[in-house]
Amino acid sequence: MSGVLVVVEQHAGRIARISWEACAAAQHLGAQLSLPVSAVIVGAQVEAQISEVAARGLPRVARIEHPLLAQYTADGFTLALEQFVKAEQPDYIVFPHTYQVRDYAPALAARLGQVLISDVVAIGDGPVFTRQLLQGRLNGSYRHVGTGPCIISVQAGAFRAGETEKCAAEVTVVSPTIDPTQIRTKPGEPFRGSSQTVDLGSAQLIVSVGRGIKDAANIPIVQELATALGAELAASRPICDNGWLPMERQIGSSGQTVSPKLYLAVGISGAIQHLVGMKGSQCVVAINKDPDAPIFEVADYGIVGDLFEVVPALSAALKAAKG
Amino acid sequence: MIAILPTLAEPQSFSLSEKLLFAALAMASVYSFWNLFGRILNKILQSKKDSSFRLFPITKRIWDFFWEVLCQAKVVRERPLPGLAHAFVFWAFCAFALVTLNHCAVAFGIGFLNPAGEFARLYFYVAAAFAFACAAGILGLFVRRFLVRPKWLGEQLSYQSGVIALLIFVLMATYLAAFFVTDAGPDARILWWVHTLTLLTFLPLIPHTKHLHLVLSPATVFLSRGGFAQIPPLAGDEDFGLVAGADLTQLVSLQAYSCVECGRCTEHCPAANTGKLLNPKEIILGVRAYLNNLGPASDQPLLGKYNSQEAVFQCTTCGACEFQCPVGIEHVPILVGLRRGAVNTGAWEDEHGGKLFLALERGSNALGLSPAERDKFIEKQALPIFDGTQEYCLWLGCMGGYDPKGREIVTAFARVMKFLGTSYGVLRKEKCTGDPVRRLGNDLLFQQLAEANLETLAQNKVKKIVTICPHCVRTIQEDWKEYGAPPQVEHHSEFMARYVDKLPKQPSEEKVVFHDPCYLGRYRNVYDEPRKVAALAGDLVEAPRNKERSFCCGAGGGLAFLGEEDGERVSHKRAAELVATGAQTIAAACPFCNTMFRDALAATGESAPQLLDIAQLTARGLPE
Amino acid sequence: MKIIVAIKQVPERDAQVRINAAGKWIEEVDLQYALNESDAYALEEALQLKEKHGGEVTVVSAGPERVGQTIREALAKGADRAIYVASNDLGSRDALGVARLLAAAIQPENPDLILTGLQSEDLGLGQTGVILAEVLGLPHASLILHVEKTETGLTVKRELEEGWFQTIELPTPAVLTIQSGGNKLRYATLMGIKRAKIKEVRQVTASDLGVDVPPVVLMEGVTMPHKQKSTQMLGGSPKEAAAALVEKLKFEVRVL
Repeated sequence: MSGVLVVVEQHAGRIARISWEACAAAQHLGAQLSLPVSAVIVGAQVEAQISEVAARGLPRVARIEHPLLAQYTADGFTLALEQFVKAEQPDYIVFPHTYQVRDYAPALAARLGQVLISDVVAIGDGPVFTRQLLQGRLNGSYRHVGTGPCIISVQAGAFRAGETEKCAAEVTVVSPTIDPTQIRTKPGEPFRGSSQTVDLGSAQLIVSVGRGIKDAANIPIVQELATALGAELAASRPICDNGWLPMERQIGSSGQTVSPKLYLAVGISGAIQHLVGMKGSQCVVAINKDPDAPIFEVADYGIVGDLFEVVPALSAALKAAKG
Repeated sequence: MIAILPTLAEPQSFSLSEKLLFAALAMASVYSFWNLFGRILNKILQSKKDSSFRLFPITKRIWDFFWEVLCQAKVVRERPLPGLAHAFVFWAFCAFALVTLNHCAVAFGIGFLNPAGEFARLYFYVAAAFAFACAAGILGLFVRRFLVRPKWLGEQLSYQSGVIALLIFVLMATYLAAFFVTDAGPDARILWWVHTLTLLTFLPLIPHTKHLHLVLSPATVFLSRGGFAQIPPLAGDEDFGLVAGADLTQLVSLQAYSCVECGRCTEHCPAANTGKLLNPKEIILGVRAYLNNLGPASDQPLLGKYNSQEAVFQCTTCGACEFQCPVGIEHVPILVGLRRGAVNTGAWEDEHGGKLFLALERGSNALGLSPAERDKFIEKQALPIFDGTQEYCLWLGCMGGYDPKGREIVTAFARVMKFLGTSYGVLRKEKCTGDPVRRLGNDLLFQQLAEANLETLAQNKVKKIVTICPHCVRTIQEDWKEYGAPPQVEHHSEFMARYVDKLPKQPSEEKVVFHDPCYLGRYRNVYDEPRKVAALAGDLVEAPRNKERSFCCGAGGGLAFLGEEDGERVSHKRAAELVATGAQTIAAACPFCNTMFRDALAATGESAPQLLDIAQLTARGLPE
Repeated sequence: MKIIVAIKQVPERDAQVRINAAGKWIEEVDLQYALNESDAYALEEALQLKEKHGGEVTVVSAGPERVGQTIREALAKGADRAIYVASNDLGSRDALGVARLLAAAIQPENPDLILTGLQSEDLGLGQTGVILAEVLGLPHASLILHVEKTETGLTVKRELEEGWFQTIELPTPAVLTIQSGGNKLRYATLMGIKRAKIKEVRQVTASDLGVDVPPVVLMEGVTMPHKQKSTQMLGGSPKEAAAALVEKLKFEVRVL
């Protein structure tokens, strides 16, 4: 077949944005190298998703279906794709860098005598693939030098899933040979973490409120922001000390330590006892009326203003954005 | 005049059976005393030797013995009235040395002090004066213990103490009464026998009670470690601190048996004063109970039946206990030793403690922040980098380098140094001095930090250090000695005090109360220098508990990193005391005190006094 | 249970990043090294399993001489012995090459369980454990937070995206890659370090293991990323600032 193959991931019929971004990356690569791009989607019954894939401008789509692929297992997916790749012989295979892909793509690559270039953030001429090293403090340039397919996975947000022209899709259905004894792991049903206690430690989005809120009666303003964002509500110590929020929501040296993707500090000055609890956050946004508040030192984005005006405006803007 | 005053009656001619009876009783008494005392002495001697103990220089020891034991200085100074009463009891005992000897010799007809003779009469009168004072004193102490019942003597009434008090009173009473009877009469004999029986009952009771201090405490005071809150180095590969009985050293055992249960340590303990489990007196008595029941060779953990791990980790190492102890018990090395035993063996499992250790294992500072943050601060404030040519190395420390408030103090002090024209620089890299882990008993981590820092200082050719943090001062100057030769180091209050004439006096009627940091005051004896500096900014007022009695802010001993306290917060208690002085400004000289009070004052609300470091107070008066 | 933990020594988290003269990696002079964070969690999980079920924990690490310090740290934390694969050219091997090297060192041990960290703090490929399983022909699971031994093998708790989790059952022998944060790490103790001095560290060299396969992927060079971390202040009226923030959250932070 040759060309660029993109592996689209589906979960219970849903395809997440990162797969579309992988498609965009694959199309970018295809354009760069003048190679055709096709997609493959794996599962037990994936007919319904085909039209979505086709809508992304990918004329050739393969469905790999087998009852043993109803639930994801590393063995199942590796076997299925190994057979497909050996049959189709793509030059490039593009994966979205998801937890699932991290679980089986390296094994698939090894089986094919290759190495996955994982978590790619940019594709340059060559092609040269850029990866982040040392927790984002350094970039590395990778090149595939062997024979056989070059396998990569792309980082979420690195490529923008754009709008493309819809086209008619040529669909192939492939049924791999998988024996039940080849599936060595038994996965259970996914479940949520316990919902009774607040687990700020695993929260991805946190909105945190500090003394700037002035009164317990004002907390709902920030709660609304948290809800709009889909975030957990947390607080600095004085708020919990006053009993305005329960102790388990406290962040800081005498409370919890968190490292979410987004930490939104509202009316928090940034005392050291608080900072040590949230310094691991990937992105910090601070809203405070004092431009010299220490929190701004550690913030990626800051708004100097009256939280009683900014927060409701932000809640409204978020609700509008999320539609 | 003396001639007309009564003489001491001495019974004449004891019969053979009386002599034999006395001899037998005396021997039984001495035997009984030695039986128990000998065992206790054995336990102390069988304990591990203190490898770092040095008898010389001996001058200070002799002075301390004279001043604290003979003059009872600390006993009186820290609790004046009861102390004075006790002093008289003690002096009476000393004065009675010859009296008692003579008293016993009289039974065999070889009394060497003739009551009619000039010398003896004078001596007996002097002894009588002491006896009177002693009797009055012991009566007062009895009333205090059994009627007034001060909290620090403990909840339970000590009947032991009552018995001993009675015996002492009887001894003094019988002595005084002997002035009012004649030699020949039966009363003299009765008094003699009552005095003797009382004496012979008292002797064996000594090792059974806290009165063992009569024998031990002079030695305990003399044999102190030779520094305040001095943590001894570990001795060899198998020494992990005070894990079990076999790790107790002779000094620790001696001190445990010397405890008089006066409760002065507990009275001044910030943890005990805020409802925590920790009670310094009970820690020492716990060690004593361990020795009594399990002995010095036992492998049972010390933090088990007789002392709890929880209590030991509530200590802020403020040293108030050790400072107050009149019999020379050194609580801080014992508490740190017990912590060492738990931490060096991994027996201490604490969420925050573990995080602190892991942060320092992997990183450079106790807060777990990236050193890039410190670099950013240095750059923003344009602090000069130390290059070997400047006079001083300004050591930032973890608080000075990373805490927003600590940074303000550094910035203010930098302004002061600039004003004074002092040449200084900051190091590119600093690791935490290791103070919190040292006080928590993690010797592995402390060694790593001390050695790494000493190397940095040597490489950078640092000769003099000045820093804003008393914990850094103490750790660098004293604790790092175990791993190398630290350079000279002083606290910024000592530095600024030297130049107080050059610093502008601010015309202000503001009342300023200075809070003595534990690690600057008790640990380093620096009380006047920061006051001189603070006085530039306003009128100094004193807190009720000040100078050597300063009440801890609660951060020391690694506790600033261990999360929230149970019960009343030490910092809040002290903050309330400082606020109650009516001062408009609280002057601090330690970034930890500063942080602790800032939170506490925030709880006070809008009317709280302002909280400033002495550097900030001084910088306020400098021209822009 | 016979457990092997593959650990990696990586540059300290806050190490200064300066590109070396060759442009192929960072300056290693003055660099401090530490045990890779998720490997520390893997070690902790192994030690807890040993404490519960008995057995032995062996650590395996490859690299230059300085790796010895990290091996000793692992022994100090409680591992029973170590295998050190001496290799000065790990950088010239790809992930498959490194995994093959480790597999050759591990295979003769016949362990019940092999644990690795989820990913390394320096290269961050996150693949060694999975490839190791493939090379050794063993079942595996990744992003594991918790491991329990059962009659038939293991039950493990796996982390999924967005706050979901999953239990997986698998037989032993198996390979697991361990995610950070599942346990509380134990700190290194003085007693541990002293005891570690007498524990066995067996050294093998890459050539002993006879693994030499030319790499299929090469890292050609390194560069500094463009964006510097500085605070972007969003000004204007509350409404304007809010709108600007939402834009950022959508396209730069990508959380919406």
